[in-house]
Amino acid sequence: MGLLKGSASFVRFSVEGELPDSSLEYLLDRIITYSFEDIDDNYEEYSLGWVSVQNMFDSQFKNASWVAGDYITLSLRMDERKVSSAILKKCIIKEEERVRLEKQLPKLSRSTRVEIKERVRSELVRKAIPIPAVYELAWNLSEGVVIFFSTNKKAQALLEDHFRETFGLLVKQQIPYTTAEALLDEAQIIKLENASPELFV
Amino acid sequence: MDLVDLIAEKRWLGQEFLTWLWFKSDERGGTIALPERGDISVTFEKHMSLESGEGESLERITCSGQQSELREARTGLAMGKKLESARISFGFNDYEFSVTLSGSLMEYRSAALPKTEGTEVDGSNPEEVEGMVLERIFLLEELTKTVNECFKMFLDLRLSDGWRDEVSQIREWVEKNAEVVTFD
Repeated sequence: MGLLKGSASFVRFSVEGELPDSSLEYLLDRIITYSFEDIDDNYEEYSLGWVSVQNMFDSQFKNASWVAGDYITLSLRMDERKVSSAILKKCIIKEEERVRLEKQLPKLSRSTRVEIKERVRSELVRKAIPIPAVYELAWNLSEGVVIFFSTNKKAQALLEDHFRETFGLLVKQQIPYTTAEALLDEAQIIKLENASPELFV
Repeated sequence: MDLVDLIAEKRWLGQEFLTWLWFKSDERGGTIALPERGDISVTFEKHMSLESGEGESLERITCSGQQSELREARTGLAMGKKLESARISFGFNDYEFSVTLSGSLMEYRSAALPKTEGTEVDGSNPEEVEGMVLERIFLLEELTKTVNECFKMFLDLRLSDGWRDEVSQIREWVEKNAEVVTFD
């Protein structure tokens, strides 16, 4: 959150490389190709894709604009079926005990325990309701900068991967050093490379 | 060098910048004179964290208090720590922004934007929504542009011959603040 309302937490990424076609038709085609696919009605564990910033259920951008002036505005939505480790552990122990009694064994073999673990996990994941997470972004096309509205490292890694897949372009997080490289001339950059931390006491 | 190595190796750069910005703002009573823009207000608010060392020897303190009373933070400076994050208000052109900046990664956290006519729409009219989005992006970019101008001012000084004089003044400021804390 932060693009449309409220306080904003964000980092900046520079976009590296050139689009093969910078027309809006091409961009929309790429965005739709990599848009979000709902997994509520199937058993997929995970889904990642683009949706409208105004409506997380709009992945075809029919009702909402994805362009504002010089900017592309999108949300990256990830739905994931998760099972808490405590529930998983409890259900595995319960099922192991059931199978052990059923087969009248003193102890289960390692391979049976592995099979039970996989089966129980798979059953629980299928029952879990996908948890959605939505991260907004604004891509300044003329300056090649993306403002990404999350400081979560996992979300930033998802953005890097999905942006590359969608547009074939790399995004590079702007930390102080890379920001400095963009602000300085060549002689200054060489000086900065060789600079070491200062003591203020 | 890849990004992970750069973050680790150049962690000090953003921390030095924030520490310098605090000094600069304190030096002129909450104002900074940007080379191309002139005076803007830069006020350090009630929350900041400081760090020293790295890896296993990393030490961090978090302080909160009114702007003039960040005593623990000032003591932290005297112990050789630098700012890792700080809540800062930037004021210019009748705008007032408030943001928590992190030094090592340059993250902008909980940025409060000024309310303008363009940002206060109900969201039912698509054209108004687009205008509102553009207005908010404009304000966010004003904030990042201002931070970058402060950063550029720091870098120009940091990489010039004038940096030694600046370091002397920062050390005096750190020492003076430590005395104030001691005698209070």
